[in-house]
Amino acid sequence: MFSHKVIRYSPWLVHFNTGACNGCDIEVLASLTPYYDPERFGVKLAPNPRHADVMVVTGAVTKKAAERLKRLYDQMPSPKFVVAVGACAISGGVFSGSYSLVSGADKVVPVSMYVPGCPPRPEAILYGVVRLLSKLDGGMD
Amino acid sequence: MALIEIPVGPQHPALHEPIMLRVRADGEKVVDVQVVTGYNHRGAEKLGERNTWNKNVFLYSRICGICNTVHAQTYTQGVEAIGGIEVPPRAQFLRTLIMELERIHSHILIAAVMAEVVGFESLFMLMMRDREPVMMLKELVTGNRVLSDYYTLGGVRRDIDEVRKDKILKVLERVEERVKYYKKVFTEDFTLNKRLVGVGIIKAADAVKYSLVGPTLRGSGVKSDVRSDDPYAAYGEVPFKVITYDGGDCLSRMLVRFDETLQSIEIVRYVLTHLPQGPIAPKTPIRMLPAGEAFSRVEAPRGELIYHIVSKGGDKPYRVKVRTPSFHNIINGLIAYKEAKIADVPVILTSFDPCISCTERVLIIDEKSGNSRYIRLKDLGRGV
Amino acid sequence: MSKVVEFLRNIGLVQREVKQARRYVFEVSPERLREVVSGLIKVDENIYVSTISAVDYISEGFIEVNYCLWGINDAVMVVLKVKAPRDSPKVPTIHDLIPGALNSELDTYDLVGVVFEGNDKLRRGFLVPSEVVSQGIYPLRKDFKV
Repeated sequence: MFSHKVIRYSPWLVHFNTGACNGCDIEVLASLTPYYDPERFGVKLAPNPRHADVMVVTGAVTKKAAERLKRLYDQMPSPKFVVAVGACAISGGVFSGSYSLVSGADKVVPVSMYVPGCPPRPEAILYGVVRLLSKLDGGMD
Repeated sequence: MALIEIPVGPQHPALHEPIMLRVRADGEKVVDVQVVTGYNHRGAEKLGERNTWNKNVFLYSRICGICNTVHAQTYTQGVEAIGGIEVPPRAQFLRTLIMELERIHSHILIAAVMAEVVGFESLFMLMMRDREPVMMLKELVTGNRVLSDYYTLGGVRRDIDEVRKDKILKVLERVEERVKYYKKVFTEDFTLNKRLVGVGIIKAADAVKYSLVGPTLRGSGVKSDVRSDDPYAAYGEVPFKVITYDGGDCLSRMLVRFDETLQSIEIVRYVLTHLPQGPIAPKTPIRMLPAGEAFSRVEAPRGELIYHIVSKGGDKPYRVKVRTPSFHNIINGLIAYKEAKIADVPVILTSFDPCISCTERVLIIDEKSGNSRYIRLKDLGRGV
Repeated sequence: MSKVVEFLRNIGLVQREVKQARRYVFEVSPERLREVVSGLIKVDENIYVSTISAVDYISEGFIEVNYCLWGINDAVMVVLKVKAPRDSPKVPTIHDLIPGALNSELDTYDLVGVVFEGNDKLRRGFLVPSEVVSQGIYPLRKDFKV
């Protein structure tokens, strides 16, 4: 899989909030600042979903945002991966059972990596992305 | 020139309800701004009726990550008013401490985002760096960086010791110095001033009429702050100034936040040096409440936050109504966009502090050709 | 004594006792609401709409709409309680008197189904997803279970 190997060196992220409380969002933002230095892994925020390799989804997926999530995912070029960040993006978290949620990003798009936490620390988010990269390399089951 | 429509959003997670701004523009000039809401509507008010009083402390903290402690404060103080529960003075002071730490990091964050939106990326990175120590202090006090879950009905869940106290005071000295420097940058930098001065002006009378709250209202010169008008927690005992600026433009709103950050640092110092001794929470958890209702108000970093809690007795609330400050500032703040340029739309929106999303995207539809493309809000701000 | 509260007492509204400080709760009939609000902003123009909160009392058969107004000058919260029958909850709009009430009216209509007569901007789907709208559900009414 040649294309997978190319991504490994510089995965570009696109971040989409599907109804988060902002807790995960500010941690995703914090993980992209020099304090945590994501560029040592080649990780960069993509300007556009069409440039992105990895989509970082935060937040309980609301029914209205679900359509947008699907559309954004379709716009990304293959190969593409989704990382679900935080308890809400994984299962709906404290909001599961609400009338306006589909709960969990994996109900809408295929998710390759889950980063648990409420919210996860910036280190954990970067770790999740780096684990995804080693998975592409065949370094992980 | 064709009239073009530019939806800004929809993934702008403004607290309770992130929205999409549908900007209609004639060339560069904004003709009309409409608002589409509901992308972040998670039905927290309904879920609250399902949970017990105690469980809701955690649910309502998660309405907004950035201002989670003020949500917990508003909810718990409303419940305490219904139940007639006395909160020990030490807990009141600790609540004040954590709310002010949150205000400091929230205000630095939005100033950083403002720097990014106008295209001053190095300033954004520097401010984010200087915000990290404040997050560390929050972790030191509560055990978590963002969602602290520090509150419990009738008190707080963790105490503070001398070592932590000294550490907070030491770190804040450095933060204060940096905030003063950034305030200087915002007032003196030529490019920032070009983007912020005279943009998105809201007159004082309009600000009141359209029910704007918080720094947006005070940036128009109206002196209204829940902390001094309707004191809660320990604010009745803590001396502080209510900051107002008369300009009503984006810069005034940002300067209100800088001065408030400096005030918050003073409040934290006062709270830590005057911390009373005693218990921090009731010995037995509170489970059942009598019937009653409460209107609970708190000054969140973004303005007045209000909860209307109705109890019919028992272990669950009958109704909890939540109104977050951004709900007013974003939707009713549409008046500020009149006569603005397209490139000013993200600047004005950011000046309301609509919480933050780092992937704001904008869809430009050319009505003639029907072509559409996504660009980031940030790039729109630079005039792409 | 605050000018605003004095005005409301003088026009003969029934005041309810509340425990919290700086909160003044009055009962208003739907017919008198507009008259009371326009009188209020004449007495003190620095009043804003803090929120409009509707509570569905299903067993009592009415929906109670709470208009929470904050007087900046006097630092008082005035709450006007308006009762509307549950089968057709209608109250007059106040968004032309205080423009800041618009978003709260939209929110209350979408979630509880209170019709603000005279507000032509009311629409479903302001917050709730289209699926819920198509079933004609008002999610914050008590007969809708999560």
